[in-house]
Amino acid sequence: MIPDPVKWLIAFLAALVLQTSFVPAISLGNATPDLLLIVLFFFSLKYGVMPGIFVGFFLGLGQDLYSPSLLGQNALVKTLTGAFIGLFNERVMRTDPLVKTVLLIVVFIVHDALFMAVQVLKLHDSLGSLFSGLFFRTLPRALYSVAVAALFYLWEMIPKPSVRK
Amino acid sequence: MQWIIRFFATHRNITSLVVVAGVCLWMLSSSVLQQQLISRVLIYSIFYPFHFYIAQTTHIKNIFAENRRLKEEVASLSVKLAQTADRTQENERLTDLLDISRQYPYTLVPARVVARDPSLISRSAIVNVGKDKGLLPYMPVMTTRGVAGKLIKVMGRMSLVQLMADPANRTSVMIRRTREIGILETENGTDFFIMFRAHADVAVGDSVITSGLGGIYPRGLLAGLVARLEQNRDPLFKKAWVKIEANFDRLEEVFVIKMPPRWASFKSELDSLEAAP
Repeated sequence: MIPDPVKWLIAFLAALVLQTSFVPAISLGNATPDLLLIVLFFFSLKYGVMPGIFVGFFLGLGQDLYSPSLLGQNALVKTLTGAFIGLFNERVMRTDPLVKTVLLIVVFIVHDALFMAVQVLKLHDSLGSLFSGLFFRTLPRALYSVAVAALFYLWEMIPKPSVRK
Repeated sequence: MQWIIRFFATHRNITSLVVVAGVCLWMLSSSVLQQQLISRVLIYSIFYPFHFYIAQTTHIKNIFAENRRLKEEVASLSVKLAQTADRTQENERLTDLLDISRQYPYTLVPARVVARDPSLISRSAIVNVGKDKGLLPYMPVMTTRGVAGKLIKVMGRMSLVQLMADPANRTSVMIRRTREIGILETENGTDFFIMFRAHADVAVGDSVITSGLGGIYPRGLLAGLVARLEQNRDPLFKKAWVKIEANFDRLEEVFVIKMPPRWASFKSELDSLEAAP
């Protein structure tokens, strides 16, 4: 049996590798699924706020180091998003697939809104670009990501052999 | 101080978020030069070890792949080298055989040993020539170094050779220097000897050649050298141990001397005598 931290590390690394290599090939117009955010979503949902904060921070920092024009932007956004998802921790509340789907769309909106807010504040972009970005980019991206995340749901729905302790 | 620690302990999530978000905001608010410096520090302190580890892993993986490729190449080259060495040796042996065929005034049929007696004593061998080359039973077989045996069974494309190492095989020989005649024989397939009369002129180092009296081997084929002389228990005889020139354990190419036994011409008369009442 692979321990959980190793599984999640593999999941994050696989998401990072696929995001930089495979995902651009399957983009539909502006819509590209964000695998890192999907994995962060499931991670924070399972482990709560604090792990979500730190994992989100390091994931975002890693993304920032690849594009250091605004160092800290992705780190901040992913930290806050990880904390936000952690509020709906499975230990606190049970969520069925439908709620998770809606929540994932909301998470995408929150994530992109935060991202663009930082963009507006730091690079003095117009507020109009923030809203048009939310509408034209975030929604298709969120829907596409939900479709991809459905694979995770299917994985969770497959009955697993019970482990005798 | 106590209340700060207690506050952090009770509000872990909030404090973690504030601290991390504070770090992010500090990074965001810093100047471009500072951001570059922070990026460099982070890359070298946090991400570089991962990159280094991944790069090293990839490098090691490449080394393994290269090692495997080199091993395969070495194995392939070793096989080729062995084949080349084998061909070279075969070439040398065949050159020797060619020289031999020029030396002897007989028709020599080159043959390759295709099978050997698997027992401890190499009594026989099978060669890849037979009736197709016009061979007959009792034709002598020789190597580049000396006489090896005779054909005892000839089939279509192969023949069975009775080697001199067979204890049942006895060969009429003579000492080249003094023309003393004797019978070359063996009891174990490795130690060969000739019984001579006690006063026969035989010395260590004398060449032993076929005498031509047995009717199978022509006169003058080298069989071996006298290695040792031993006084027999019977004072009338002495034993000359002979070191045979042909190596029966490593026979590969041989020659069949295309010479039917000299008694073959009398065979019909002998048979008619046997058939007579």
